[in-house]
This record gives sequence, C-alpha cells and structure tokens, in this order.
Amino acid sequence: MIRHIFTLMWNRRRANGLLVLEIFLAYVVLFAVGTIGSSLWENYRQPLGFRFDNVWQVNFLPGTQPKAEALGTLQQVLARLRATPGVLGVAVTASNTPFSFNDSRTAIDFADRPGGPKRPINNINSYAVGPELRDVMGLEVTKGRWFDQRDAVAGSHPPLVIDEQMQRAMFPTGESALGKLLTLNKDKQWRIIGVVRAYRTDGELKEPLPAIFGPIAPADTLFLPQSLLVRVAPGSGAALEKRLADDIRRIGPGWTSTIRTLDEMHSSQLKQVITRPLLLSVMSIFLLLNVALGLFGVLWLAISARRAELGVRRALGAPAGAIARLIVGETLALTTFGLVLGLLVAVQFPLLGALGERTSVYLTAIALAAGALYLLATICALYPSRLAAGIRPAVALREE
Amino acid sequence: MQPQPTTAPAPPAATATPPVIQLTGIEKVYQTSTIETVALSNVNLSINRGEFVSVMGPSGCGKSTLLSLMGLLDEPSGGTIAIDGRPVGSYSDKELAGLRNHKIGFVFQSYHLINDLSVRDNVELPLLYRPGIGGSERRRRALAALDKVGLTARTGHFPAQLSGGQRQRVAIARALVGEPEIILADEPTGNLDSVMGEEIMDLLLGLNRAQGTTLVMVTHDEQQALKTGRLVRFFDGRQVA
Repeated sequence: MIRHIFTLMWNRRRANGLLVLEIFLAYVVLFAVGTIGSSLWENYRQPLGFRFDNVWQVNFLPGTQPKAEALGTLQQVLARLRATPGVLGVAVTASNTPFSFNDSRTAIDFADRPGGPKRPINNINSYAVGPELRDVMGLEVTKGRWFDQRDAVAGSHPPLVIDEQMQRAMFPTGESALGKLLTLNKDKQWRIIGVVRAYRTDGELKEPLPAIFGPIAPADTLFLPQSLLVRVAPGSGAALEKRLADDIRRIGPGWTSTIRTLDEMHSSQLKQVITRPLLLSVMSIFLLLNVALGLFGVLWLAISARRAELGVRRALGAPAGAIARLIVGETLALTTFGLVLGLLVAVQFPLLGALGERTSVYLTAIALAAGALYLLATICALYPSRLAAGIRPAVALREE
Repeated sequence: MQPQPTTAPAPPAATATPPVIQLTGIEKVYQTSTIETVALSNVNLSINRGEFVSVMGPSGCGKSTLLSLMGLLDEPSGGTIAIDGRPVGSYSDKELAGLRNHKIGFVFQSYHLINDLSVRDNVELPLLYRPGIGGSERRRRALAALDKVGLTARTGHFPAQLSGGQRQRVAIARALVGEPEIILADEPTGNLDSVMGEEIMDLLLGLNRAQGTTLVMVTHDEQQALKTGRLVRFFDGRQVA
C-alpha cells in the first residue's frame, strides 16, 4: 500500500507541486525555529551554577574621587555593608555580574601536554572576583578549592579557578586541570587551584561558555571594582535597600550607586533574550496555519474531484478504513516529498558547521520540524479522510 | 492470449447449489426532503453459477441500481440479498468489502480507470485490498490478467494513452485479476463503437464460456443481449420479463 501511495503521489507530482513547495518552505522555517528553540532548551538544561534569589547587585561610581582614595572608601563601604543587619554576605566583582549584559571575554591557545599542538579556546568568560563570591552566589566547587587566605601571599603564579566547561575544553580526555599552569594575557602564567560547576552570568538561555576566575585581593591597590553582589536575608525589601544606598552616599561623598535585585535583572534579561525567538515562532505559526489551510483545502477539493475514483476503489473491495488510510497516506507522502527537499537544505548546516551551532541542536531541530510537519499533515488529513471514507460508492459511481 | 469469440451462449449451470446471487422482494427508494423516487419495486431475481444474464430496459428503469445492489455497493430499502445462499443484510462494511473483493468484479461503461496509475497498477488495484498478497505476486497476476485481454504490450502505459476499447480491456483485466466468481458489467460497450463493442462482448462471452465466470451485464444493445444466456427486462423499476 505504501508503494502504491508513493507511486500515485509521484505520478501526481505536477498537480501537487505548489503544495510540496509550501511544505518545503514550512519545513525550512520550522527548522530555523526548531534550531533556536532546541538551542535555548539545550542551554536551559545546563546548570546555571549559582543561586540568585535574595542577591542584590550594587553598582557605584566614585565620581571625581582619585582611585587610591576610592579604594580606601570601598573598604569602608564593604565593612559597613557587611555589618548591616539583614546583609548575609558581600562580594566585590568586576562589572560582568549575572544578567547584566556586561562581559569580559578572552581567548587562549592551549596545549594539553608539553610540546603538544596548541588548540584555540575561544570565548572564555573572564571574571575578577573577591573570595566572598562563592558564598554569596552559592558556587559549587567540584575539584580543588576556592580562593582563600593562602592566596593573599603573592606567589610566582597567581591562582586561578576555572569552571567545568573550561576544564573540558582544556582536557577533553578528562585529565585534571588542577595544578596546571595557564598562560593568559602577556605571557603571565596562572596556576589552576580549583574547578567550580559553572557560573553562567549570561543567563540560562545563552550558550554556556568556559569561565575563568581571577581573585581580587582585599589589599589590591590596582583594580577598583565597581560592582558588589550582596546576599540579603529573605524578605529584605525597600527599607534595607534605602539604608544601603544611604550608607554608601554617606561614606563616599560624590559616589553614586544603583541597587537592583538579581531577580529583576534576570526577568529583564530573559525578556530580551526571548523576544526574537518568540517573534519568529509567531511568524512560523502563521506560516504553519497557511500550510494547514492549503493542505486542508487541497485535500477537500481532491476528495470532491476523486469521488468516482474512491467509489471504484470501494467497488473493488476497499473497506471504508482503507480509503481513510489512503487519504492520510497520500497526505503524508506529499509531506515527505516537501520534507525531503527541506532536509537537503537542513543537513547542510551540521555538515558545514554553519552558524557555529552544536550538531546535536541541528539534529534535534531536523527531527522536531519533521515531526511537527507530519503531525500537522495528519491532523489536516483526518477530516477529509473521514469524508472520503463516508462516500457511498453507488452514489459516487452514478454521479460520474 | 485472447479468448475466442463465441456465438452460442453458455448453458445455465445446474441449480442444485444455491444461486450465486439471489434477490428476494427487493425495493429501492431514493428519498430527498421533497421527493421520493422508487427505483426498484418487488424484484425477485436469481443468478445461477456460470450464467450470463443481460439486463435491459429504458434509461431510469433501475438497471444500474439493480447492479449496485447485486454488487453490494448499496443497500436495498426492503427485501434481502443473498450471496451463495447467505443473506448479507447484517454484514459489516468490512465484510461486504471482503465479499466485493473476493467474489465480484466490476466493469463500468466509463471504465473508471485511475488516470495517474499505469495500466499494470490499475489492474493490480483489487489485489491491493486483499491481505497477504505481496507486490511480486500482484504484479504476476496483473500481467496474467492483461495477457487474457491481449494487453501485455501496454502495461506501462497510462489510461490516457489508450483507445476506448483498450481502456475497457484494462477494466476487464482489473475485474478478472482477483479471479472473482461474478462479473457485473454496467453497459461495458456503451462508450465504444460497434467494432470495439463486439470485441469486448466476445471477450466477456469467452470468459463465461472458458472459465465459467458468472456475468450480469446491463446493456441497451438488443443484439448483444441476445448473445447472452438469459435476458431480463426492467420497466419503471419492475422486472417485466
């Protein structure tokens, strides 16, 4: 029966050409939407690596205060905030805080054995953080250790913490990165002392990137961080926010500060990231609706035009169920023709490595788009197939 | 190989076995919201195994309705239809379809071939709805049926590439391919010129004579009807002879 259906639809390919073209276009759009959706889902499934509930971000600008003075003022601010009731912890950090749309990226060429070939590791998120960040953000150290007092003593190789993705990028075979030296900017070498699960400040929907962490020592006199992450007691609200802002203003005259909760920043970032895929999804829904109406209309018309043929099939021994299956089968065969064309386009992306997306994402999108089209075609064919099955053969043959 | 034309009708089969088709008190009424049309009224007709029966009558007298009822394509408004002595009134759609597929072959005036299928695929069609017959077996049987009607050279052609007589031969091959006991032909020569009509008639007579196939043929042609074993006449939905 399957061969019969494909033979029939192949012989009718000219009559169904436009519909096949429409199915092909729908597949390509669905593939695009599927790729974006699948990519977002794959990203979402990866651990974020930190907890952002009850964490506030404090950004400040020291105004015209000289840097050396501002560093001293910052120490006072930190001491004040840490002593404030309701504040559970305060960490200094560079401005690439979670959900802030700020990033600091670097790239290295890395050889996983002495004298071995160097591989590029690109798009590494680089964080300068205070040692309190682990507790404030709830980072999970999976190997080695986080920064502590031992790192206050300047050594030949400053300490570096990496995340698990960086570990995998450096040593795909699973060898531990602990104790290894990593050459970063200007040939300065850093010793890896620990590995954390993740720290995806770009948010859960963005592709996870490898991360490295360098410490901001309390006595650092060169780098003036301008962001603080503050963990507050659950239920803290406007009163605490006002108190923190007042304290900063009082300690640092001329300083300006803004306080936002990471919850707010997360929502805002989520909206921005998801807007484009949502628009594309809405467009694809309209296109699918168009395909569905086209399929439905063509099938309905075909049933009317083929009443005699269906009557003959019934006369030759086809039960009503076989007629219904024939119509659904023909629709799926048409869908397959359009889909094969679409697949020829879609497979080019993983084969050519286009757009830098993961192969698994493309393969998922290919399957999802095909599944969605088959589902749509089946739904569209159900009612016309029932109509066809209900044709009374004697009436259909008499009409002819 | 084509069947040889015959001039004498085949003798009716012995009636010790039940008639292959038996219509008892058949009524058929077509009803719309405003009008009621009686197509058949109190028809009692038996078709015995191996008979070649022609049905004649003016247009609208119920000949085609009779054929539809015999072919289990329609249900009577009253009366019973029995196939091989078994009433089929309580049969499900699937059982009726099975009976049509195994026991009955149809030949139509306007051929009713599927234009998008090749000659061979058209002939294979009844076997498609018969479980357990694979593709190669279908092909073998279709080619054998086409051989019987002398069309082996046209298996890959499409209906539009054939003459009217050739199309009707394909339709007959399609009716034969399932080796049915009964062939119901509704004006099989109605769209053909006299020469082609004769060819088709000879083919049907040959089938009846050589294979013992039971044939019921609706026709307007008195000469053709006289070649068959029995002539049944209808007028205004009633059997008059």
